[in-house]
Amino acid sequence: MICRTATVLLILAASALPLWAPQAREAPRPKQESLAIVVNQSNPINDLAFSELRAVFLGERRHWPNGRRITLVMMEPGQPERDAMLREVCKMGEPDLRRRLLQGLLTGEILVSPKTLATPVGVRKFVFNVPGAIGYLRPADVDGSVKVLRIDGHLPGDAEYQLWIPERAAP
Amino acid sequence: MRQAKQQTVQAGAASFVPRVGTSPGTLSRYSSALLLLGVVILEAAVVQFVIRDVHSANTEVQRMYAWSVLGLRRIGSLQYDAQETRRSTLYALTTNNSNLQLEYADQTREADKRVTEAIAEYLQEARMPREIEVGKRLQQDWLAYLRVRDEVLASILEGSTKEAVALDLSQGVRLFDRVREDLEETQRLYDEQASQRLANVAALARRSVIRLFGVLFCTVFSVSVFVWVLQRNKMSSTLQLAKMQMDFVASVSHELRTPLAVLCSAADNIADGVVQKKEQLTKYSAVIRNQSHQINGLVSQVILFASTQNGKGRYVLRSLAVTEIIESAISSTAELIQRAGFVLEQHITPALPRVMGDPSALSQCLQNLLINALKYGDRGRWISIRASLAEGRDHRHREIRISVQDRGTGIDRADLPHIFEPFYRCPAAVASQIHGTGLGLPIAKSLAEAMGGKLSVATEVGVGSVFTLHLPVRKASAELPGLQEGPPARV
Repeated sequence: MICRTATVLLILAASALPLWAPQAREAPRPKQESLAIVVNQSNPINDLAFSELRAVFLGERRHWPNGRRITLVMMEPGQPERDAMLREVCKMGEPDLRRRLLQGLLTGEILVSPKTLATPVGVRKFVFNVPGAIGYLRPADVDGSVKVLRIDGHLPGDAEYQLWIPERAAP
Repeated sequence: MRQAKQQTVQAGAASFVPRVGTSPGTLSRYSSALLLLGVVILEAAVVQFVIRDVHSANTEVQRMYAWSVLGLRRIGSLQYDAQETRRSTLYALTTNNSNLQLEYADQTREADKRVTEAIAEYLQEARMPREIEVGKRLQQDWLAYLRVRDEVLASILEGSTKEAVALDLSQGVRLFDRVREDLEETQRLYDEQASQRLANVAALARRSVIRLFGVLFCTVFSVSVFVWVLQRNKMSSTLQLAKMQMDFVASVSHELRTPLAVLCSAADNIADGVVQKKEQLTKYSAVIRNQSHQINGLVSQVILFASTQNGKGRYVLRSLAVTEIIESAISSTAELIQRAGFVLEQHITPALPRVMGDPSALSQCLQNLLINALKYGDRGRWISIRASLAEGRDHRHREIRISVQDRGTGIDRADLPHIFEPFYRCPAAVASQIHGTGLGLPIAKSLAEAMGGKLSVATEVGVGSVFTLHLPVRKASAELPGLQEGPPARV
């Protein structure tokens, strides 16, 4: 009994420790910036629900309302933008995504595997050239050649925007 | 004398009387100069015309060259960039690397942008309806091809290579062939225009050559005419001079023959003993002296004329009273005037300013005018000498005017321009057997000019003539040409 009580107290003390620990010891939290979802300028879609965005990136939704086939374009594995997408939108890790894509291609649920490009410029050019493409970019990498979608009615930079990513480290 | 009806000639211009040995025809000399001036102006105009024509042809050739180079470059670039657009699209088919495919996509889009701009430029500069039509068709076909190209490119980037190939084969090839045909049509049109322009330039060059030949012909012709007229005038002047010299020789011979005949006759009579008495010998001696003086005077006049004409006369300048000049002249001719029974009147304004001049030259000048009045004033047998102060023609200087007036036959209008020409004799005087050499007035004029003055004449046929010597009232002698201060010298 005493041992159980001591254990409970220890757990409570350990959980309360961060509350009184000095602020200076806490690790600095990196600054965040939003991650924009971009599509081709000819795409009629302007606003996308977060759930729809997830369906798109998981390959569950394969066509746009105008009938165009959806083509995913992603950064190479290890890139912060890709990690953020997997974490925030797909809610899975790299292996899970790879497994899911392989399974989708084998079963025919996914028609075309996502395009993987090395740089944000490549992503932007791809989206510009392919009418059904959708990708993600930091706001600084976006220009007029692509269209930025609202997610649940919010644009990147809005407080309620759901996709965030640590700011790019200065070179 | 009624001034309104008088004909007046100013003999002050030094160029009025030609020198011996040069062209004596004033009119012909001026006409030659005018003709030369005309030829020079014509030549200048012709040269300007030729330069303008050549410049125009050169400009046209340069414009055509620039147009040709620009057109060739534009068509060449258009064809190359169109091919580059398609080639880059097809290159994208050859790889699965998305990054490389994007590079090809960039290349094809850059090339198609250049083509679109070149077509717009072509349309902007197109003027002929056919050019505009071909340009618009090319623009439409190009845009149609680009739409298909974009789809093909999208399929390639998506990874749907089969779809891309199928789309290109079914639509892309056909549309690009149409673009190629349009480009060939553009080139054909350009070739036609170039041929037309070349023909225009060739025609312009031919016209220039023809004009040049025409101009050269006109130039040669005008110069030939000028030379011919000049030679004719020179020949005419030479003939006229020769005739005048012959007349002069005849006149001098005639003038010499009379006193020589008298001298010979007197000498024969004395030699043959016909004349023995003292009274007769005295009479013969007087005759011989007079005739000798006459011969001497004639020879002196010829020598004087020669010296005034060749510019070797030396004059000694000094301040002279006008009365001194007039009295000297009258005293030298008083005997002649008296012997001829003429009345001589003098009207000399008192207190006239002194003039600068050579006394001998001025006296000789007035003597010639008086002798002239004696010769040709036989009708009225009256001579008047007037001296007055007047304002010069330039209204800046004052001048002394000494005029010798007679009531003779006057001078005909046709003779008036020639009376100061050497050896010229009025036909009426020759017909009336009035002896003379035609040197009196030219000598008087030359002497007047040598003194810085001039000689003028006012005359009316049947009324008489007035010869006026104009002498400027000057302070210094240095302004007079050919004059020297110093001891008296022979004229």
